[in-house]
Amino acid sequence: MSPHASLPPAGADPAWGGPAPDRLSAPLVEMRQIGKSFGGVRAVDDVSLNLYPGEVVALLGHNGAGKSTLMKMLAGAYPIDSGEVLINGEKAHIRTPVDAQRCGIESIYQTLALADNLDAVANLFLGRELLTRWNTLDDHRMDAEARKVFHRLNKNFRNVRTPVRRLSGGQRQVVAISRAIYFNARILIMDEPTAALGPEETAMVGNLVRQLKAEGVGIFLITHDMPDVFGLSDRLAVMKNGRMVGAYRTADVTEDEVLGMIIAGKQPDGKAQAHNF
Amino acid sequence: MSPVPNVLRQLAVDWRLVLMGAVLVATALVFNLLSGGLFLSPENLYNIAQQTAVVGIVATIVVLVIVARHIDLSVGSVMGFVGVLIATLMYTAGWHWVEASLAGLAVAIAVSVYQGALTAMLGVPSFVVTLGGLMSFRGAAFLVADGKTQPVNDLFFQRLGGGFDGAIGVQASWVLAAVLVAALVLQTVLRRRAKAAYEVPNPPLWLDALVAAVPALIVVGFVATMNAYQIPSKDEPQGVPIPVLIWGSVALVLSFIVHRTRFGRYVFAMGGNPEAAALVGIPVRRVTLMLFALMGVLITIAAMVSIARLNDGTNSLGTGMELYVIAAAVIGGTALAGGSGSILGSVLGALIMQSIDSGLLLLDISIGLRYVIIGQVLIAAVVFDVVYRRLTGDAS
Repeated sequence: MSPHASLPPAGADPAWGGPAPDRLSAPLVEMRQIGKSFGGVRAVDDVSLNLYPGEVVALLGHNGAGKSTLMKMLAGAYPIDSGEVLINGEKAHIRTPVDAQRCGIESIYQTLALADNLDAVANLFLGRELLTRWNTLDDHRMDAEARKVFHRLNKNFRNVRTPVRRLSGGQRQVVAISRAIYFNARILIMDEPTAALGPEETAMVGNLVRQLKAEGVGIFLITHDMPDVFGLSDRLAVMKNGRMVGAYRTADVTEDEVLGMIIAGKQPDGKAQAHNF
Repeated sequence: MSPVPNVLRQLAVDWRLVLMGAVLVATALVFNLLSGGLFLSPENLYNIAQQTAVVGIVATIVVLVIVARHIDLSVGSVMGFVGVLIATLMYTAGWHWVEASLAGLAVAIAVSVYQGALTAMLGVPSFVVTLGGLMSFRGAAFLVADGKTQPVNDLFFQRLGGGFDGAIGVQASWVLAAVLVAALVLQTVLRRRAKAAYEVPNPPLWLDALVAAVPALIVVGFVATMNAYQIPSKDEPQGVPIPVLIWGSVALVLSFIVHRTRFGRYVFAMGGNPEAAALVGIPVRRVTLMLFALMGVLITIAAMVSIARLNDGTNSLGTGMELYVIAAAVIGGTALAGGSGSILGSVLGALIMQSIDSGLLLLDISIGLRYVIIGQVLIAAVVFDVVYRRLTGDAS
């Protein structure tokens, strides 16, 4: 049912080269010296960051630290001013959201980029509608496909034909996440995916992250939530004032050290940075 | 939960439209009573349908413009400009009406794309762009023929506007009704099959039949009424007026665009959440430009019908029409905040407004009072819209 289901889980199959094969493989995403200015403000300044298959990298920082801007550049929502992005070791030209989608990059935004007046099915396929051979919308096929994906995430989700503004926060999140799953994301950007959710729905997102990770998807997780960071991420990267403070294995640092990086921009003493996992 | 509401919920019926249809019927019945049976006479209904066509044609596309969170205040002026231009090319320059209309179309699209480009590419609010257009193109309408009235003499062209020879006759009207009813049945059958093929639940057959029967009955009833009207000096009844036929075709094509094409879906997505539309990769600028270009096409059609109906093109053609068009869209349930509205709603909205105007005229109400009442009807429609959205949880 899942487009990822046929893939072996990372680290489990000897054919993939041992217990933790992806540490040795090329990075899924390599962002090199990325810069972005809005007017005179350097929103992102000379930032480099990698992401490996099956890895979750938590991206942390204050509001305005530049993490969302960095991710929006990767997703094609903002043009990149300087620096380059490599996907699977090859230089990628990401100028629009469509370019990013072609590279297998999907985003789930904090603001849940959904058109409130359209139903769940229309939102799932928004921008990538299935067409009949006469180039008209193939509503029934989209309806059937959407029900399958939604059902996988939430068995009780039936009102797929009402405008999404009438859905609960959790159901809306299901729609947003379905976009990533249906279109076969290899690289997933989640911008505060649990910010608007209750405990049960937060657990659902957590399980999904683990599942996708096991299927070899690389995930950037923007969050303020420390339990999410330590529960889900393999590495964490902290930004402050548009610059990268540092990237570390999550297991190597303590919560206090992370807070020190976020608040003071101070690198923890005696800990080695980690640019792969 | 009782089974009946469940069944009703499966239907893709827009209850708001049903309610508006009821308002239209109630309006007609009240005026009929007050006018002693004059209002519902075939002659009056024929005239109302014919008179509403121009506003109705433009209202269909203005709905989409408003849905996409834009506005077009220049529709009346651009229609006047294009109308005078077509009339001048025919009368003063001696062009054939087809050539003149194509030239008018080219100019209308150029004007619309110019306004659309300022809006889409530079981000100038469409309110400002088209407010300027409201004045400029009214001026341009004067400049085309130096303010002189341009008669329209081509007999074939005149029929586009309705009038004495401007209807398709009894037989063709019945054929039209039969084709439309057949199309309704076919559409229902195809939809049920497609749903079954993808294992999407279908409502019970009798319910689908009922839902298809209502518009079918309206079509048959409308054609029967138009076929019942005979101009006293003619041998045959009129049948469906050509401007109404044009309006109906325009409404069908635009409904198709809204429901069945990517373009239509993107217009609604942009109105619902412009940021989301851009983030998922919808080409927002291109869609906006296309929307304005489509506006140019429909303005041309409306201009042709309008000068054909009046038998001349004058520089005052379409003055104040923007107000009627926007009112028709709003009465028809289009939210000025964008994101929601329907083509069929604009048809009903235009009809409701014209019915009230025409009914008050039949009752010999003074023009001042007529304006007061119609203005308040518009406000009532918006008040209803606000309350309805609050009750159904659709408030944004």
